[in-house]
Amino acid sequence: MEPSSADALTAAVDALLGVDLSRVDALGLVDLLRSVEVQMRRLAAVDHRLVAEIDGFYPPNNHWDTNGYLYAQCLYDPLMAIAANGTIQPYLAESCTPNSTYDTWTLVLRPNVKFSDGSDLTATVVVNNFAALKASLLTGQALTQVVSCTVTGPLTLEYKLTGPNPAFTAGLTTQVGYVFGQAMIDQYKSGNSAPTPVGTGPFVFKEWQPNNHFTATKNPGYWRKGLPYLDQITLRPIPDTIQRESTMKTGGVDMIGSTDPNTIKRFQGQSGYQVVDSLTGVIGEPSMAFIMLNTAVAPTNDLRIRQALAMSLNQATIQKIFGGGFAQPINGLFLPNSPYYSATGYPAYNPAEAKKLVASYKAEHGTPALQLLTIPDPRLAQVVQIIQQMWNQVGFDVSISQIEQANLISNFISGKFQAATSYQFGNVNPDLNYVWWSTTTAGPVGSIALNFPRNSDPVIEQSMLTGRSTTDTATRVAAYQTVNKQLAKDLPYLWLEQYIFSEVATSRVQNFANPTLPNGMKGYAFDEGIFSPTAIWLSK
Amino acid sequence: MGKYLIRRFLQLLVVSFIISVLVFMLVHLLPGDPTTQILGANDTAANRAILLKQLGLNLPLWHQYTIWLSAAFHGNLGTSYLNHFSVTHILATGAPVSIELILLSQILAFAVAIPLALVVSRKPNRALDNISTTTTFGLLALPPFVVAPILVAVFAVGLGWFPATGYVPFNQSPATNIHDMVLPAVAITAGSIAVYFRLLRSDLISTLQQDFITMARSKGLSNRRIMWRHAFRPSSFSLLAAAGINIGSLIAGTFVVEALFAMPGIGYALVQAVEQRDYLVVQGISLVVAIAFVVLQFIIDFIFTIVDPRVVRE
Repeated sequence: MEPSSADALTAAVDALLGVDLSRVDALGLVDLLRSVEVQMRRLAAVDHRLVAEIDGFYPPNNHWDTNGYLYAQCLYDPLMAIAANGTIQPYLAESCTPNSTYDTWTLVLRPNVKFSDGSDLTATVVVNNFAALKASLLTGQALTQVVSCTVTGPLTLEYKLTGPNPAFTAGLTTQVGYVFGQAMIDQYKSGNSAPTPVGTGPFVFKEWQPNNHFTATKNPGYWRKGLPYLDQITLRPIPDTIQRESTMKTGGVDMIGSTDPNTIKRFQGQSGYQVVDSLTGVIGEPSMAFIMLNTAVAPTNDLRIRQALAMSLNQATIQKIFGGGFAQPINGLFLPNSPYYSATGYPAYNPAEAKKLVASYKAEHGTPALQLLTIPDPRLAQVVQIIQQMWNQVGFDVSISQIEQANLISNFISGKFQAATSYQFGNVNPDLNYVWWSTTTAGPVGSIALNFPRNSDPVIEQSMLTGRSTTDTATRVAAYQTVNKQLAKDLPYLWLEQYIFSEVATSRVQNFANPTLPNGMKGYAFDEGIFSPTAIWLSK
Repeated sequence: MGKYLIRRFLQLLVVSFIISVLVFMLVHLLPGDPTTQILGANDTAANRAILLKQLGLNLPLWHQYTIWLSAAFHGNLGTSYLNHFSVTHILATGAPVSIELILLSQILAFAVAIPLALVVSRKPNRALDNISTTTTFGLLALPPFVVAPILVAVFAVGLGWFPATGYVPFNQSPATNIHDMVLPAVAITAGSIAVYFRLLRSDLISTLQQDFITMARSKGLSNRRIMWRHAFRPSSFSLLAAAGINIGSLIAGTFVVEALFAMPGIGYALVQAVEQRDYLVVQGISLVVAIAFVVLQFIIDFIFTIVDPRVVRE
């Protein structure tokens, strides 16, 4: 029995997703959009400029952020994919069906599919994929709910879980669901830590020079007949947003990506360009930019302080200055068009009330001083300076510190911060964020904890578990609305704006945001900056 | 001469060893370690311990250093923790980019600075001299990350003469390579022109007041011959010294331009490795760059002995 569409929306894939650091990038740092140099149809190699480089193509060993998935979409296919209506549909798999208790899933692969090295796609290969992912320090933790994955037929395998998970298949749309060839596993076992990519995807790996270019050529034996249209695709990383846009304007590339809202402003409506963005059509939760507060250290461990910080932070002003005119008021995790959206009670801008709260705290503990951390990003540097002014005006003593992302994340993990910029939580299903909010992943400062703000709220925990296990839509919606309201009450996050992804292409580029799944359904067009190159073509 | 060179070479070995120790220690003084970058939020205590052992980072620092140094002596500078390319490969692919960028920028700098200095030094404090001095003074204040976007805005986006970013290897297409390198090279050249021009101009003005120049004039030699054959050589010591230091600092100092123009040079690779705590890449590139700097100074010193043989005698 296939999960219902509602079930799909509540994909509880924590067991498969695990910790995805790509979702934890500090605000602005992963403003690395790739330009995909997609060459158009029959000759084209599209040149797409990426924002950042990845570290490799072996799923058990390498991080895949937005950029990583763009590479992956060229070389590999996922077992499952997200449809435009939010449901999870088979892609490389022909079907994936649960038993009556949702703790055993049977996956059937498509027949007659070959990898780029000519080997066959079989259940044995997929099971070996699972074993490699399970054994990996990077991805193993994400598979803790999966007890076993065994071959039950030439093209059939069975996943056994530790417990019911109606939305298991959503996890197979992520990094752990992209199928790689046996040759890569064998190379890795023989000591090659960077095996040559072998996949079933629309393109075949040709060459990769880090920080320069990645090129892949059309897969002549691709199992989706007639695809891809392009003969070649090239991805080139350009970290600087303005330089990326300049390259586009000079005709050096066909497509660029960006997380700067001003990119949309600069290209939208311009003759010769098309713009796709994540402002509309978001499935599930969008990525949100926010200030994260540590509820386990002074002074942010005091709710009055967190309330004062929230009330003195003028979200509208920040959005006006930095949002490019696209930002909309944010009161929590969901946008107004989401089924989970509701009033949350998030504190409104009220500096007068904030001053009272600060005065109340000050009478007991003295002037509240805190350090606001961010990464060395020019845009963020401006944002935090404005926030610093807002907070200082109500009585705080705020200092700013810029540190590298690796250190910032390390500080998040160990709890060595008071306030910091970040962006996160973009997911098809709210349950994918369980690890970030669970009481089971909180811990004292100094210990490793994925619940970075250490906000241990049993109401949130219970609501997340309810949302994961229920198959009733109304119950699920209510559960996540409760989570959202509790977060507005506990205030571990001060919302700034929706983190906006955009893709700009020349007018010649066609069909880059209109994917069709193998079963004929429309695919999720633009998933947080990720799009499919499979059906792109160029008009003359 | 032979003793001088041998002495300098021995100094080079000692300096290289000291640099290797300093580079190793400085890298490990950076807060954090590669496990966060590699594991991300999977960086649990248990996973971290396993990974540190796999990478050999759980050993005492002195032991790590001796392992690394021993491998380096055998030509093995290690492998990136992240993309698993060997450091040698990273250097082999990045060095040609950076070297070409430096060479082009310095050739351009000398091509502008030397003739200009030779012309204005004959008539100091005249209009051309004043304009040149003021202009170069302004160029000194413009760092590459300011010059580069202006060049792109005007010559790439505005006029469409050059690409905004990108790099094509010379062996793939020499013409495209040179064409793509123009803007990045010019972005670096501005500061070099200023330094070289001002140094050479000052030294030439001083040299032209020497008695042997008066003697040359009284012999009826042409101004051109006097400038090139008699004045330029003794005036070039400061220029050589400055060039040596400038080129040396550019060996990995081009990372800003490399990042802006999306060029895969070693400067950009080094900065990324530092950010990602990719220790072996940092150590390997830093060591090679430092040794290259020292070798360059060694070569400059050797050139000095040719330009002025008195250096050897002293």
